[in-house]
Amino acid sequence: MAHSLIDHASALLLGAGLVLWFWGTWPLLGTHSYLRKLHALSVADTLGSLLMLLGLLLRIPGQWPLLTLALLGLVVWNTIFGYVLAACSLPPRPHPATEQDSAP
Amino acid sequence: MRRLLPLLLSTAFRLALWCLLTSDLSQLNLLIGLVVALLLPRARSRPLPVRVLLKATLRGLLAIPQAFAEALRLVMAPAMVEREDSEPATDRALPLLVFLDVFRITLTPFTIVLGLEDGGRRYRIHTLTPASKEDSEP
Repeated sequence: MAHSLIDHASALLLGAGLVLWFWGTWPLLGTHSYLRKLHALSVADTLGSLLMLLGLLLRIPGQWPLLTLALLGLVVWNTIFGYVLAACSLPPRPHPATEQDSAP
Repeated sequence: MRRLLPLLLSTAFRLALWCLLTSDLSQLNLLIGLVVALLLPRARSRPLPVRVLLKATLRGLLAIPQAFAEALRLVMAPAMVEREDSEPATDRALPLLVFLDVFRITLTPFTIVLGLEDGGRRYRIHTLTPASKEDSEP
């Protein structure tokens, strides 16, 4: 009983992740603005993948160390990479003074 | 203690990653992990204010359920509006805090940090939100 419950929860999470993946990656083919595509991608990449990894975690709990590492890595990497891509989309700034390093 | 904190935190974090990667808690493996964690180069850092750091980390974690709520609202939305916004930075002197802020803001689908502005005192933010009734009416 508990087994099938976990299987169903896992299938639900994997399915929800897949829905978010498609919802977020489909607009990439469209004509929306670059930043709007990035917003959609953060839904797909970060949140969709997070749901999928949670689903996998329920399905193969024996692999939890690697799955946790993948979860941590994907969430941090996708989020920060999204920021890098967004920052790169800006035109070069006229005030190089704002670029100062925060080193003491 | 405050001076030692960055060293302790980064070493503990690296050791935790090592343990997850190898999934082996034997003494020898822990020792190797500790040596690797200490030998890897580290950035020079100022003493960290513990309370501020804890608060920033907590806010970053709380952003995860919030991100799902926002994703749901975006998926349901019939139309969306893009805007530019800005938010005051917590403390730009500490790179770790800036990192946590950028992570928290960019993680949620409504907002993405575009960079620092105003000499580093504010984050420039791009937002995408579901259109309200006034926006959608011509």
